Amino acid sequence: MSAGVELKQAGTPAPGFTGSIGRMIMRFVIYAFSIFLIMGPISSLIIWSFAEKWYWPHTLPQEWGMKYWARVLEGKMAESLSLSFGIALLVTFVCILLCVPLSYLIARYRIPAKSLLLLIFLLPQAFPQLPVFTNAMEIMYRWDLVGTLTGVTLIHLVGALVFSVWTMVSVFQSISVSLEEAAINLGSSRVRTFFTITLPIALPGIIASSLLVFLYSLDEFTGSLLIGSPFITTMPVYMYNSAMGYEMQTASVTGLLLMIPGIILLLLMQRFMKSEYMAAFGRG
Amino acid sequence: MPNLSAASKGNNTSHSIFRWLAGVIMIAPATLIVIGLFLYPFMGSLVGSFRNESKEWTLDNYFYVLETYHMDLLFTIAICLISLVLVLALASLLAGWLRLKADPFVEFLFKIPLFVPFVVVGHAMRVFLAPHGTMNSLLASTGLFNPDSMPGVAFSTLGLIAALVWKNIGLTLLLVMGAFRGINSSYLEAARNSGAGSFRLIKDMMIPMSWGTISVAGILTFTSMIGNFSIPAMLGDGGGSQMLMIDLYYELIYRQDAGAANALGVISYIASMGAAIYYVKKVAKS
Repeated sequence: MSAGVELKQAGTPAPGFTGSIGRMIMRFVIYAFSIFLIMGPISSLIIWSFAEKWYWPHTLPQEWGMKYWARVLEGKMAESLSLSFGIALLVTFVCILLCVPLSYLIARYRIPAKSLLLLIFLLPQAFPQLPVFTNAMEIMYRWDLVGTLTGVTLIHLVGALVFSVWTMVSVFQSISVSLEEAAINLGSSRVRTFFTITLPIALPGIIASSLLVFLYSLDEFTGSLLIGSPFITTMPVYMYNSAMGYEMQTASVTGLLLMIPGIILLLLMQRFMKSEYMAAFGRG
Repeated sequence: MPNLSAASKGNNTSHSIFRWLAGVIMIAPATLIVIGLFLYPFMGSLVGSFRNESKEWTLDNYFYVLETYHMDLLFTIAICLISLVLVLALASLLAGWLRLKADPFVEFLFKIPLFVPFVVVGHAMRVFLAPHGTMNSLLASTGLFNPDSMPGVAFSTLGLIAALVWKNIGLTLLLVMGAFRGINSSYLEAARNSGAGSFRLIKDMMIPMSWGTISVAGILTFTSMIGNFSIPAMLGDGGGSQMLMIDLYYELIYRQDAGAANALGVISYIASMGAAIYYVKKVAKS
């Protein structure tokens, strides 16, 4: 109380002073609020992952340790971890293979029924995945794909292809056509122009898009739960199962492991992140 | 069908057939996967919602679903609308503040949720907000609250809202900030010089000038919330009203009633129409 009065008295002669104090307080409040809001839930995960014994109403765990990290990394989780990374790598590879040429065609050429093609790749963004995937599951039952690696990879590919076509088309559209025209006028073939002019310029965008596809596949939950069970347990599904079984520590360790690739990507890509890429990403 | 008409300079017929084939090979695989595993099942859910188990056409699925789940439908829409208003308000205020005082640290913090998977958000909120969760422990440790009389919000409405807001704040902030950064600084300086404070700059200048982007962000966020399965799957297990996607999952997996599940799906499509229209317009523009 008294501090506030003092500040006011000291501030009255110089109006700039109260202003800067006010601004500092404002900044402090925003910092405190932001850190609490964002780090609060994450720090709970961290505490839980190191808690060996934690009973209410203790504020912090009574016993700390790495027991659950060790247990989780040795057991079934390690299997899920490598499985998830394997699927994500495969999905990313297929996406690059299929989407680079496709996106280049969409960005540069007049294709018949192009708007139909664009709609096919845009509309999946608009609708919820679960009701569609439940019907896709029925189709996959017919082909014996449920519970197989192929099935899970395919269901990941649906979302990943849509996302990567969208981002890669915008990467190619941002490259000036005149560069390619210059190369062609100088006698280069279209294929050669693509590989020597377009692709090198587009590479950073393609890499960014592929990293996001990798992350999408790693984090995919809905499709993996429906198509993967009971034989293919990816990391998010593993986490869901352990959280449903009230294995708080195991779930927290898995959750943190799932967060790490994303945080690394965020640190790497802060500068390159464009909202139009990300709009496709906020789904689950 | 796909043909590189722009590239059809080659008069040679075998040459143009080759180009045509190359186009098909480039376009077909990805398109077929999306058609086969998204559009075809999407149509399947539309058709399936009007059929009963013996494949007869009927509206019974909708009668059953509306009778059983009308409260859940209202609950879902209410939760999503409340979360949406909170996300948009928070994102606009933060984006406005960041527009005036560039602050990389706060900006970085709020981008984190973008890259945290939905399931993890659900679980983190659960351990954070549960009756005996981290936040209540923290509050209890201050000694100001009686630990046993505090409400646990994790499995209730507030937990869902908190998780949805938390997950969506990153994307909404990114979109709104893009629009605010596009506003010419001279407008803001002019208003500032005639005595407007930061809050008024945000409320009376930035938000009205970026209304288009904010409403697009709102539509995309709303549909993503309606269709979200992972967060309510992690959080919403406390009885009472459920989110629509949980009802759908329950109908399919536990009651094995595909017709009812599809009817719920179609209702969720209708709720997502805003985003669909936005994407159709986007294609029409390009």
